[in-house]
Amino acid sequence: MKTKRFAMVLDSSKCIDCKACTVACKIENKVPMGQDNYRNWVAEGPLRGKFPDLGQSFQPGQCMQCANTPCDHVCPTGATRVNRDGIVLVDDHKCIGCKYCITACPYNARYYNEVTGAVDKCTFCVQRIYRGRQPACVETCPTKVRVFGDLNDRNSEVSRLLVKHAYKVEKPEMGTDPFLFYII
Amino acid sequence: MTIAFSKKLSRRNFLLASSCAIGAGSVAMMGSRYRALAASKHVFELDDLANRDVFTSCGMCVNKCGVIARVRNGVIEKLDPNPHFLKSRGMLCARGNAGLDTVYSPDRIKYPMIRTGERGDGKFRQASWEEALDLVAKNLQDLAEKYTRAGTVFVSTEGYQEHFFTTFAECYGSPNTLRHPSLCLASNIQGFGATYGTNPTPDVLNADYLIMSGANRSEALITPDSIDMLTGEGGKRKVVYLDPRFTKTAAKATEWFPIRAGSDMAFILAMTNVIVTEGLYAKQFVADMTIGFDELKTHIEQYTPEWAEAECDIPAADIRRIAREFAAAAPRAVYYQGRRSSFFDNDTQMRRAMAILNGVIGNWDQPGGMVPNSSIVLERHDYLAPWYDGVPPRLDSGSASYLSEKDGSWKYFRDRVIEGKPYPVKGMMIYKQNPLVSVANRQKTLEMMEQMEFICTIDITMNDTAYYSDVILPEATYLERLDPIESLGGILPVVTTREPCIKPMYESKPNLWIIQQLSKRLDDEIYASFDFTMEEYRHHQLRNRPDITKALKEKGVFYEKTTPTYGDTYGKRLKTKSGKIEIYSEKYAQKGLDPLPVYSRPADIPEGRYRLILGRNAYLTHGTTANNAYLHDLMPENSLWLNAGEARKRGLRNGQVVKVTSSLASEQLKLFVTEKIRPDCVFMSHGFGVITSGQRLLQGKSGSDAALIEDNVEPISGNIAMHQTFVEIHPA
Repeated sequence: MKTKRFAMVLDSSKCIDCKACTVACKIENKVPMGQDNYRNWVAEGPLRGKFPDLGQSFQPGQCMQCANTPCDHVCPTGATRVNRDGIVLVDDHKCIGCKYCITACPYNARYYNEVTGAVDKCTFCVQRIYRGRQPACVETCPTKVRVFGDLNDRNSEVSRLLVKHAYKVEKPEMGTDPFLFYII
Repeated sequence: MTIAFSKKLSRRNFLLASSCAIGAGSVAMMGSRYRALAASKHVFELDDLANRDVFTSCGMCVNKCGVIARVRNGVIEKLDPNPHFLKSRGMLCARGNAGLDTVYSPDRIKYPMIRTGERGDGKFRQASWEEALDLVAKNLQDLAEKYTRAGTVFVSTEGYQEHFFTTFAECYGSPNTLRHPSLCLASNIQGFGATYGTNPTPDVLNADYLIMSGANRSEALITPDSIDMLTGEGGKRKVVYLDPRFTKTAAKATEWFPIRAGSDMAFILAMTNVIVTEGLYAKQFVADMTIGFDELKTHIEQYTPEWAEAECDIPAADIRRIAREFAAAAPRAVYYQGRRSSFFDNDTQMRRAMAILNGVIGNWDQPGGMVPNSSIVLERHDYLAPWYDGVPPRLDSGSASYLSEKDGSWKYFRDRVIEGKPYPVKGMMIYKQNPLVSVANRQKTLEMMEQMEFICTIDITMNDTAYYSDVILPEATYLERLDPIESLGGILPVVTTREPCIKPMYESKPNLWIIQQLSKRLDDEIYASFDFTMEEYRHHQLRNRPDITKALKEKGVFYEKTTPTYGDTYGKRLKTKSGKIEIYSEKYAQKGLDPLPVYSRPADIPEGRYRLILGRNAYLTHGTTANNAYLHDLMPENSLWLNAGEARKRGLRNGQVVKVTSSLASEQLKLFVTEKIRPDCVFMSHGFGVITSGQRLLQGKSGSDAALIEDNVEPISGNIAMHQTFVEIHPA
């Protein structure tokens, strides 16, 4: 079977910071309560200007599913691995909770799950996508900021969006080769 | 017409569940919060351990978005949006997702409770349904004898089963139903109704130009408007937003103006002035479809953009430009009327001004304009309310100019209860409403409740109002009930269903069951109006509509059209007296009200004080969801927004606790120092500062706006006017 390259394209200009994605993710992935436990987030950009000339942007984020994965490189037990379709996963049983990966991640996309005793992170909702469903954050988003799909398929919406629009990735200087693309 | 089915089917126990312990196997499948619940040995029933996906509709706010509940091993594991659900555009917001905690919250009312201590002590004992219902019925009978049937007020708010509660009030014989609209849309409906004969829906999706004054659609979510606002075609859409605060809607708007609170009407009248005097209005439309334009022409002369600049703090040049752009975009231009309570005591006239501005650009019943609602008609149930002699009219009769007989006016009603005039009201039945949090001037609500001889609350959680009640009856939540079929009107009307995902937990019961039990105890004649099962009720609603039944089963929603139809009202009479759009209101003139909107400046803010303003965020619904664990995570407390320059001047720091004092009360909460608000206003979120100890996450946290806000009133609709309170701030 041809491998896929899963990716997400986000149009942050549509984000209203309603945090539907955050709650949907917490429930879908049984992320424990508490503001420090999260697989995804909406970042409030800095307030630009002074009253009454103001502007602000909101940017959703989660694991960038990097091709060059600092988290994977530092993991001493091989608990973090990248599957054939480019999704970075953590094996709960192999994770010893040393948290090297949390430190290594430039995006602060990982947290330690007290309930499972393992580091946890966004998996693009593997439990959904291989059954033909959308990740919970994508599905629930009111304004449809996120688009999820396979970049190896040139007809997929993510492929089309990246052809049509200029985009950026977060912290390109880190050389992580992320697969979350933000439309400019 | 009478009820279609036989009475022989009566007295069946609807969803009457006997308890059994949950098996350990299914416990292992649940999240930690749920495990903790099971460990607490609260017993509940799970007879259906099958995995099911249930089409239902959300109950976390008023929007009723489509939901698919994923039930696994008898537990609702996840609520997903229903992609077929046209009105919500296939989405589910944070609150909708968090609905799980409504069911599995440890703070649910689990069984009937009877007060044992003083009111407000929070001391209750568990009672059987039998005992609790007997006690309520006995009190209702005693109250009727002592004070007539008008001596009990029935307080409630919207929901799929509210109908049974208000019907019960009517069958019991009380004219005193007191609903939420006088804290909500009453003035809006009145202002637009007086002009168009209806309150139309802005066609946000197809509008090229949207002006929103105080309608914070990116946070006060309304489906589909909140979504459609950001779905403009190729950047053609322009959104002009007026609000004293830089909200998330301001962040998304093309232009934001921090308008002086209470001056929206000046802005609208000045726009109208430009459009009329420059001849930019829809001339043919105005001639054909409106009355009173000539009077408007004269009336509007005084309201120039230069005059409005001084009122609104918005440059005259901008007002003039926006008016011209608005008229140029017509009819695909909307002055969006929002959906909220009154802020000032001129709110109905302000809504009238909005309606007239929309009227003169001719956006009525046009793509991107103001479109009258259509709806899908379901079969109605008729009932026969018994006749009782000697029951006086509503307690608040003759108060507001246009008082709703069904909804009443909280402000006037409460005042008269406290005065005991014109007659005493000593009983209070409450369903789903939480007036101690939702009505301005909490102290007065407490006074009103203290003088009651009996208070019964039907609700799902131990909120402040339940806490002050004598008997509390636990209702099943929206995810545990079969509800009536609901038809939601709009530009694209839908029919929705609500199906039980699991059986009601603990001893909770659907409202219909509670009403039936009370009715039986009161009188056979009253019970006759509730002598059916919910299945029968729904069956009757969908009589002769197998298409709806089929669609609800297959897609969880029914609709007849997916693209709007426009212009159906052209060439027909509107539902106003003249049959036209009434720019000049003869009806108002006859009542001694201004027939055209006249601006009055809000009172000046006294030196050293600030205007307290309110608003919503996307995480909370009024006072009902702040104790939800997932939403609490997003917003654990409220804070007081203060302009950064003011804070510097006053030597106040971000995060410090301040004492906020109005003429009514003092509340303490943390300060949020920000550029996002005008220097003359402060803002706080609603739903915090509760009294009850039954909402664990909220206890002892931050401040209550209901305690601070004065109960000023908009006298035409009887709506509470929320933005007329001034506060002082001092370090705590």
